[in-house]
Amino acid sequence: MEKDYIELKVPSDVYYIESVRAFIGKLSETLRFSKRRVADIQLAIDEICSNAVYHGSACISSHILLHIYVNTKTLKIVVSDKGKSETRDWLTPAKLEEIQDRRSPAGESGHGLYLIKCLTDEHKLKENSVGGTDVIAIFYRKEPTDAD
Amino acid sequence: MTGTEFMTLRENEDVKIIDVKADLSSYAASDLRKVLENLLNEKVEKVVVNFSEVNHINSTAVGTLVGIAKRLRQNNGDLKLCNLASTLTRTFNLIGASSVVEIYESEKSAIEAFQ
Repeated sequence: MEKDYIELKVPSDVYYIESVRAFIGKLSETLRFSKRRVADIQLAIDEICSNAVYHGSACISSHILLHIYVNTKTLKIVVSDKGKSETRDWLTPAKLEEIQDRRSPAGESGHGLYLIKCLTDEHKLKENSVGGTDVIAIFYRKEPTDAD
Repeated sequence: MTGTEFMTLRENEDVKIIDVKADLSSYAASDLRKVLENLLNEKVEKVVVNFSEVNHINSTAVGTLVGIAKRLRQNNGDLKLCNLASTLTRTFNLIGASSVVEIYESEKSAIEAFQ
C-alpha cells in the first residue's frame, strides 16, 4: 500500500536534471538507503530524466513529471514524458528496448536503459495516456549491510 | 582554450589535463564534449581527464569520453582518466567502458602511461 506521494513537475531541459538528482539523493538518504544505493538511485533517475528530455519532449515549454511513492518496503518513481511522435527520435518503450539490445560497451550512446535495468530492483516502460512514455523504477528499502 | 564553467584546462609538457569541477549529468556533459572537441580541433594528442572533484557521471558523459578516446587514437593519441570515485568506476564497469578507456588511480600514473 502506498503511504506517501510526492510530485515534481520539471521543465523539459537538461539544466534541471542536476536539481532533480540532488532532490532524489536527499530523499533516498532520508529513507536510509545505503550510500552506494543512493548513488544507484540518482544515476537511474538521471538516465530516465535524460531520456525523457532528449527523446520524449517536443520542446522546453514541455515538462516531465516525476511521481514518487514511498512506503515501508519500496521507493517507486514514475517518470512521465509527453512524447513527440511528430519526430523520428521519439523513444517509445519498444524503441528503447531495441536500442538496449543493440548496445555495445564501445558505443557512444544507448547505455541509458541498460543502466536503468542494472540499477533498479524492478523497472517497467509503458506508453501513457498522453502519447508519451512512463518509466517506472522501483527500489527496495533494506537495512544497509557491511557490503554497502 | 582555457576551459569552461565546469572544466579547467592545464598542461604537463605535451599532455593536456582537464580538471572536471562538477558532477557530470547531461548539462555538464555537453561542456565536457565542447572542451574535448576543441582539443581535437587543436590537434592535441594526449589528454588526461582528472575526476578528483566528481561524484557522479551519467552514460551521456561516459559515451562522450569513449567517443573522444576513439577519435584521439585514430590520430595516434589517447585519452586517459584518473582519480575516479568508486561510484564512477562502477558506472564505467557496468557500461563496459572501462575496457575501452584507460583508468588510472592518480594523475601521475596517467601521465606516465603516455611515456
